[in-house]
Amino acid sequence: MTGRDVSDGDMPNFPWPDRRDASWIEDAALAALLAGMELPPDAGAGLQPVADVLATLGAQPGGDELAGEAVAMAEFRHRFGVPAPKPHLSRRRRPTLLTSLLSAKAAAAAAIAAVSLSAAATTAAFAGALPDPLQQFAHHAIGAPAAHQGQPAAAHPAGSATPVGPNASSNAAFGLCTAFKHATAHGTAAQKAVAFRNLVKAAGGADKVAAFCAAVPHPGASPSPHPTGPPSTHPNGPPSTHPNGPPSAHLNGPPSGHPTGPPSTHP
Amino acid sequence: MLAGAQEGSEAAFSQLWRDNNPALLRYLRVIAPGVAEDVAAETWVQVVRGLPAFRGDEPAWRAWLFTTARRRAIDDVRHRSRRPEAALREIPAEQLPRTADTADLAMEHFGTRSAIALLARLPPLQAEVILLRVVAGLDTDAVARMVGRSPGAVRVAAHRGLRRLAQILEQAGVTL
Repeated sequence: MTGRDVSDGDMPNFPWPDRRDASWIEDAALAALLAGMELPPDAGAGLQPVADVLATLGAQPGGDELAGEAVAMAEFRHRFGVPAPKPHLSRRRRPTLLTSLLSAKAAAAAAIAAVSLSAAATTAAFAGALPDPLQQFAHHAIGAPAAHQGQPAAAHPAGSATPVGPNASSNAAFGLCTAFKHATAHGTAAQKAVAFRNLVKAAGGADKVAAFCAAVPHPGASPSPHPTGPPSTHPNGPPSTHPNGPPSAHLNGPPSGHPTGPPSTHP
Repeated sequence: MLAGAQEGSEAAFSQLWRDNNPALLRYLRVIAPGVAEDVAAETWVQVVRGLPAFRGDEPAWRAWLFTTARRRAIDDVRHRSRRPEAALREIPAEQLPRTADTADLAMEHFGTRSAIALLARLPPLQAEVILLRVVAGLDTDAVARMVGRSPGAVRVAAHRGLRRLAQILEQAGVTL
């Protein structure tokens, strides 16, 4: 009695007997099922189990369905440049900061040396192990050996020196002062606090930095050869160590055998 | 939430992910059985990349999310030469309701996985249309664009799929 091939005369009570069967779904019931709404009263009894099944499809997520969040979040942080766990720079702001940091040669040199370089890179700078243009920048900014003039780190007396990172009383003072001014105008508190601690120390206090820097001579008078243009290794993209985040290692951290000042072979 | 995520808000993106990943997985477990988690992860990577450039409201974004997942699933399934019907083989038979007695019990604990397994017994288009309507919450027109059919064909597929589902449940003794 429920097949589609039953004639109209056999099923006089059904308004559309040729379309009726046990599983026929009226439009209203179909819409209710798909929308997760309550079935209309005249819906077939066989539809309630269907509604129950569909309801479970929208049930609360199980634990395994939220297991992949860490991977997605990592991709999000990577794409949007959000340093975990506390984002404080939006994606739009970061390139602007980078651009401004890299816009001036002196600021870039100091910023790269004082902010971006990890302790390992600083070690490389003092060991003369950086590519020539970058080494020259390091020489200019933090008092590392000039390109082709540095000696292997092992040649320096190690162990007796107290590692303090860049010497803010040498030519490095000029670069650090420049970068400090730049960070004061454009940088974050973290940049000032971490990257220029030595400068503040050398000046004898944060309030004396301005006076200290005013007295720092321009290193242009120095006989050391300065690079005449931007280095070929000038970073074009985001550096692996972001200048807007806390450095992975502080410049005044505990490197094994850093000299306290310009190496003896410094011109 | 979408606008926040587009501006780089980690919390906003986290909420978007939590709101949508379960539905995404339920959909993928039918159309890409066995690789749903992988396809979902790949989908999110692609969606994150496209997030800044996306223009539209959240329903449109949701449609984009599932469209992306569908394309990746098709590529993946094609690559592995697996058929969507394989989903059933991964669900233990005892998880499906068998008799009227167990049906009531099963309904109370009728897990999402069991529901997905039931959906997977439908012809692929019918199952997919129902999932996109019910799980993804997309309307008929959006589903039609996704699966490359007319809205009328989508309605027919949904109707037939639900009828088939009712028949399966009836045969399994799940009647109230």
